[in-house]
Amino acid sequence: MTDRRQMVSVVDDSDSVRESLPDLVREFGFDSRAFSSAEEFLASGTAGETNCLILDVGLPGMSGPDLQQELKRLGLSIPIVFITAQGDAALRPRLVALGAVACLFKPFNDEALLDAINLALRMR
Amino acid sequence: MGKGPESVADEATPTMTSLAGALLGTLRLAFVVVRLNDPDGGPAVETMRTDTSTEGTASDLSLASARLDVRGELGIVVAGARRLEFPTPTDTLVLEMAAKQAGTALQQIRRLTTELRRTEQALLESQRQSMPLLDNIPGLAAILTPAGEVDNVNTELVDYCGQPLDVMKQWGTNGTVHSEDLPHVAQVFGQAIASGEPYDFEARIRRFDGVYRWLQVRGLPLRGRNGDIVRWYVLLTDVDDRKQAEESLRKSEHQLRLLVDTIPALVWRGTPEGDLDYLNQRAVEYLGYSAQSLTGGRWLELVHPDHRETTIQRWLQSAATGSPYDDVYQLRRADGQYRWIRSVGQPLRDSDARIVHWYGLVIDIENRKRAEDELRRSEAFLAQAQRLTLTGSLWWDVSTGGVTWSEETFRVMDVPRTVTPTLELALSRVHPDDLALVRAMVDRSASEGANLECEPRLLMSDGTVKHVHVVLQNAGLESGKPRFVGAVTDITERKRAEAELRRAYDHLTEAQQLSQTGSFSADLETNEHYWSEEFYRICEFAPGSRITIRRLADIVHPDDVPLYESAIERAMAGTEPEFYFRIVTGRGIVKYLRGFAHPIAGRPVFVGAIQDVTAGKMAQEALSKAGAELAQVSRITTLNAWTASIAHEVNQPLSGIITNAGTCVRMLNAVPPDIDGARETAKRTIRDGNRAADVIARLRALFDKRDFTREPMNLTEAVREVIALSANDLQRNRIVVRSELADDLPLVTGDRIQLQQVIFNLLRNASDAMVDVRDRPRQLLVRTTREDGHSIRVTVRDTGVGLAADSSGSLFDAFYTTKSGGMGIGLFVSRSIIENHHGRLWAEPNQGPGATFSFSVPVAE
Repeated sequence: MTDRRQMVSVVDDSDSVRESLPDLVREFGFDSRAFSSAEEFLASGTAGETNCLILDVGLPGMSGPDLQQELKRLGLSIPIVFITAQGDAALRPRLVALGAVACLFKPFNDEALLDAINLALRMR
Repeated sequence: MGKGPESVADEATPTMTSLAGALLGTLRLAFVVVRLNDPDGGPAVETMRTDTSTEGTASDLSLASARLDVRGELGIVVAGARRLEFPTPTDTLVLEMAAKQAGTALQQIRRLTTELRRTEQALLESQRQSMPLLDNIPGLAAILTPAGEVDNVNTELVDYCGQPLDVMKQWGTNGTVHSEDLPHVAQVFGQAIASGEPYDFEARIRRFDGVYRWLQVRGLPLRGRNGDIVRWYVLLTDVDDRKQAEESLRKSEHQLRLLVDTIPALVWRGTPEGDLDYLNQRAVEYLGYSAQSLTGGRWLELVHPDHRETTIQRWLQSAATGSPYDDVYQLRRADGQYRWIRSVGQPLRDSDARIVHWYGLVIDIENRKRAEDELRRSEAFLAQAQRLTLTGSLWWDVSTGGVTWSEETFRVMDVPRTVTPTLELALSRVHPDDLALVRAMVDRSASEGANLECEPRLLMSDGTVKHVHVVLQNAGLESGKPRFVGAVTDITERKRAEAELRRAYDHLTEAQQLSQTGSFSADLETNEHYWSEEFYRICEFAPGSRITIRRLADIVHPDDVPLYESAIERAMAGTEPEFYFRIVTGRGIVKYLRGFAHPIAGRPVFVGAIQDVTAGKMAQEALSKAGAELAQVSRITTLNAWTASIAHEVNQPLSGIITNAGTCVRMLNAVPPDIDGARETAKRTIRDGNRAADVIARLRALFDKRDFTREPMNLTEAVREVIALSANDLQRNRIVVRSELADDLPLVTGDRIQLQQVIFNLLRNASDAMVDVRDRPRQLLVRTTREDGHSIRVTVRDTGVGLAADSSGSLFDAFYTTKSGGMGIGLFVSRSIIENHHGRLWAEPNQGPGATFSFSVPVAE
């Protein structure tokens, strides 16, 4: 662990996820903030201090992959862990190929999430 | 006066009168009286003349007198004048001179008269012995007493009658005069004797030989000095020959008149000047006027006013020049009717070539005129008929080669009227291809007199071809010389119509075959039926075999006999002309027939058409089966989509539950355990669990009722659920959903699942339509509204690619799709669902980009 706790941001439009996930992430020992849309995340100015982004694929408006592209375009190389409620197995390799660290299907357990976050932080 | 002709008075009076007249005028007297005395002591003779122009009273008169002789025994002249100076010396002189001169003349007259009287006396004396004188008269003569008795007769009369004087005296009773003439004779004779007037009559007198001959009998009275009849001299002249001649002339005239009056002609005669002077009896009866009443040009009043002027001109022209007269005009008959007549006249001239009379005839030509008019009219009719029927008539005398054509024949043959028609001319018109045949037929007709009938073509000078029908009939059979009367009809139009008809029939037959439609007409009264070829084929009857109502009834499917009978009833009544029934053909094949029939006005005859709709029927059944299967497929497809949605929907709370649970465990495991945090996460776990349970409950509601059920439902609620179920899908496609849902709508009756399936379908279609849209927002508007009080409308509006311009009709067809991955059954099934709900589903393009799909279903009752 370092002096300053790593920042792990969550972007998901589902209430259940936004309510539950930040607490779990903080239990892992990271800082965490939740946003309901990609636009909200971009507008918050949090992107610069975010060390890992947990991003929902099916967001209204700008989708998860759109945000991924947008961050690339802005020159912010934030490691991204995608989460999705859509059980489409073909989705994962596509997202990984685009630069995602991992893609978790909801519901996922806390170990899988921690592994993914650790993997992401290591990639920095 | 009673004086004889020899009396002084008679002789003197003229002299006295002229004297008086001369004096009256010369001396301007008021009156003159001349008195002449009778020397024998008889009464004096007086003459008086007055001038009526001088008027006045007696007192105005001045008188003067003069003696006729010196002594005044002869007589006196007395003159009166209304002049005060009268008599002047001149008056006196004139008066005396005139009296003297007149006296001399009167004295002379008196002397002469006296002498005459003496001679008379002597003559009378001599007559007393005058028999020899009577006998000397060359003729038949008699002398009668003043009372009319026969006094004497001459010898010649005795000889003529062969009777002695004694017998002759009894002429009135002894048959001397013919008994038929006696009454007339007695009357004339008796009257003459009584009046003393001379008589003259004709009577038949019996001759010596007993033959009555006509004699003219003239009697003259001989008077004595005192005027009394002394004797009657009677002269008899045999006029029998003349009488006979007269009689025969009269007879012949009578004959002639009879002839003129009897001949059935109206005869007139005119004067050289041109006036009418005689009409025969028939003419009088015809005109109702005698010739006398029409003289002076009055006959012209009988001429019709329209013709009067020309009639006058023509008649005067003839009368003036003496040229024969001939005119036609209308003349009023006795019955008032104007009749067409022809009047002809010829002048009769004497030896000096002067016109003596005009003789003429009036001929009533009214009937002929009418007949002529009738003939003209009927000729016109015939020509018109020929014109209309394009039929010309013709005549051909083989022996003379003479050919006659009617006007229409010239027209049909296209030959100018001025050309003389011949057989060769006719043949020259025949189309070269038909010429040999026609010529052979004509030759046979000419040689054998055989009738001819053919339909050759004519080649006209302008290159067009005419079809004609030619008929020749031998009208000279009995004479042995063929003479043909015939007709030539232009049938080009008919031929064309026939060809047209044949072509139309072929087309119809073909069309009937293609459409498997047969037509028919049926006369139920006579049981006569006409069926088209296709009808036979449909029923599988032998072509041309006899059709009856029974025969058709026999092949009607047993279950459909009532339908068939009702169809006939309705056809007869002219109501609901459509019908359906099945037949079973001889081969046992069941066919579905659909048709219609309607009666022909007022008769048990109807016409109609019948179509074999078996194939269509089969196809329809197959289609509805396929439709059912498709609906099933669609349902499964939809379920798959829903399953994905459900998974997504359930995974969200599930994800929360697991995360919370994981967090909770970690908080409890921490040292020290974070009890408050764990409690908080456990609470969230419960909440997410409930969320998942809600999703499951909704799913149960969706899938519990799989069959079509009708129940009152809130459409807005149903829409809301579908939007919730589709939200994830829509989000993934980055579609912004805007909903305008009315909450106060009345309920509709329907199958909730099916209607939601439709809504789901519309949302998915809208979403799919916007997948490729990148240049504008992907907006979806879902709206529920109440529509005119009776139905609820659901509208789904997108900003997608819109509708293809020509696709609106086929949008709802099965398998119509614009999507590469779609099956094209969504809208087809959707529409059938909405129609099952008595609603409708439609699509329309937006003003801007995209399309709007809507459906409406009725409000629950």
